[in-house]
Amino acid sequence: MHDAAISIRGLEKYYGDFHALKNIDLEVAEKQTLVICGPSGSGKSTLIRCMNGLESYRSGTLNVLGLPVGDDTKVIDQVRKQVGMVFQSFSLFPHLTILENCVLPQIRALGRDRTAATDEAMDQLRKMHVGGQAEKYPDQLSGGQQQRVALARALALKPKIMLFDEPTSALDPEMISEVLDVMKDLARADMTIVCVTHEMGFARAVADRVILMAQGEIVEEGTPEQMFSNPKHQISRDFMAVVNG
Amino acid sequence: MINEALAPPLGASGPAAWLRKHFFSTWYDTAFSLIFAVLIYLALEAFIGWAFVNAIWRVENKHLCTHDAGACWAVIESRGRLILFGLYPYEEQWRSTLACLSVITTIALSCLPRFWSIRRLPILWVAGFATFVLLMRGGFAGLELVTSEKWGGLSLTIFIFSGVVVIGMPLAVLFALARRSSLPVIAKSFGFFIDIVRSLPLLTLLFAAAVVVPLLVPDWLQGNKLMRVVIAFAIFFAAYQAEIIRAGLQSTSQGQEEAAVALGMPYWSLVIDILLPQAFRNTLPSTINQAVITIKETSIVTIIGFFEVMASGNAAIGTGEWGNQYVEVYVFLALIYFVFVFGLSRYGAWLETRMRLGHA
Repeated sequence: MHDAAISIRGLEKYYGDFHALKNIDLEVAEKQTLVICGPSGSGKSTLIRCMNGLESYRSGTLNVLGLPVGDDTKVIDQVRKQVGMVFQSFSLFPHLTILENCVLPQIRALGRDRTAATDEAMDQLRKMHVGGQAEKYPDQLSGGQQQRVALARALALKPKIMLFDEPTSALDPEMISEVLDVMKDLARADMTIVCVTHEMGFARAVADRVILMAQGEIVEEGTPEQMFSNPKHQISRDFMAVVNG
Repeated sequence: MINEALAPPLGASGPAAWLRKHFFSTWYDTAFSLIFAVLIYLALEAFIGWAFVNAIWRVENKHLCTHDAGACWAVIESRGRLILFGLYPYEEQWRSTLACLSVITTIALSCLPRFWSIRRLPILWVAGFATFVLLMRGGFAGLELVTSEKWGGLSLTIFIFSGVVVIGMPLAVLFALARRSSLPVIAKSFGFFIDIVRSLPLLTLLFAAAVVVPLLVPDWLQGNKLMRVVIAFAIFFAAYQAEIIRAGLQSTSQGQEEAAVALGMPYWSLVIDILLPQAFRNTLPSTINQAVITIKETSIVTIIGFFEVMASGNAAIGTGEWGNQYVEVYVFLALIYFVFVFGLSRYGAWLETRMRLGHA
């Protein structure tokens, strides 16, 4: 395989009769940052969730790091160990401390021993500026802190690709930038990133490419400059007008 | 000036103020307080007079036990061993005591969070129950063989209760997980099974286990009657407890399951590390409730010929000699149940506080 981290060809997805993804073709190169935007219900989250097998699809091919993500659960397990994901709702485990939230997945998914896992977890938490919260429980932290813990938890598994599904949509406005800042650091450190977001500032700062989806299709695709200054389609122009205020 | 204006109102403190606030703040508070004070006083006076002051304690004073006298606790001195040990041979009752203590210790230890691990709990239970059975049954090292038909009294009650919970709880987890399985065949058939078990009376199940199973099942599979009854009871318990656990599983957010899956954690880890701890924590009051109901329901095994503590109590007053002392015997039995059930509910309250603080 060459340097395509994610490669999608002719992907079709249905929810019952509803055609959720229509003939998606997409390549994400290694070390690239791809931002997916578009109005709600356009299939952005569905697409990103297909990439680590959280959603199944009807037809087409989907390769992640050279592995075919399909029905084979063993392959999907392999993919998941190399692909981290951060969700809109943080999804920390509320009955475990911040530290244990980051330690347990390393032990269970990778079979690391506890000492190594604890060192790694503390390292990642410090990088996310939440090292001081290690002994607290998730509900004692602000939304912005929780999302950075979720990021540390995913990064502790040393993924090659990070998927972000609207990581700042559930946050209060004043906390959005603290999460975007660590994400920008990650993008600049050459992590391969696919991010569903409406934060155009983030896209402008670090995205190599932006795709815009509507009604299950990729409507437009280009560099951030092209997308923001000169969108070709009417849907893109309408959407950009809305998100840019 | 402003500071002065913002200072909190200086409420009167001390016992007098406390009393006024809680009992005499309005005229009807005062009226209720006085009426209840009088009622409580009268009830307590009557009870203490009956249970302590006028009570007859020793068997040699049995002739004083008349209708006008207080409680005749002599019955407990005379029949206490029958109540506690049932038909268990008199000379061997120390074994029953030790066996009972071993199961109580096992229960107490498994209530401590430090024993809550997949490795420690099973070891603890196997050790505790093996000790119980070896002591009760005997038949080795010079201990007289006592078959389970002769086990009885308090140790039988505790054995049945803890056996039902220890076998029933993992079954309940299994049923609950199967019922929400993504495979419709499994989900539907376990749902149907739970509904069937819940719609049968416990008595029917126990009769079937004691009487019908031996007719249908080959000898080597039958086990003894007590074992069959405990297993049937455990299945009954599990059908109810499974629904409680399922409710707990449903109350954990869908997002956590997805997060665990996306992190590459295996299914068993998702269940054991993430879902079950939260499910038990969220349903603790209902689970304690179920345990309390079960401890009291154990008395139903009398009907298929086991002399648990309630049946032994009835036997104690069944002979003409102590026939008039049924109130004393029932009060004594109530006290025994109370100790266990009250202990259980205090334990539940302690766990809830502990969990609210974020631990466990």
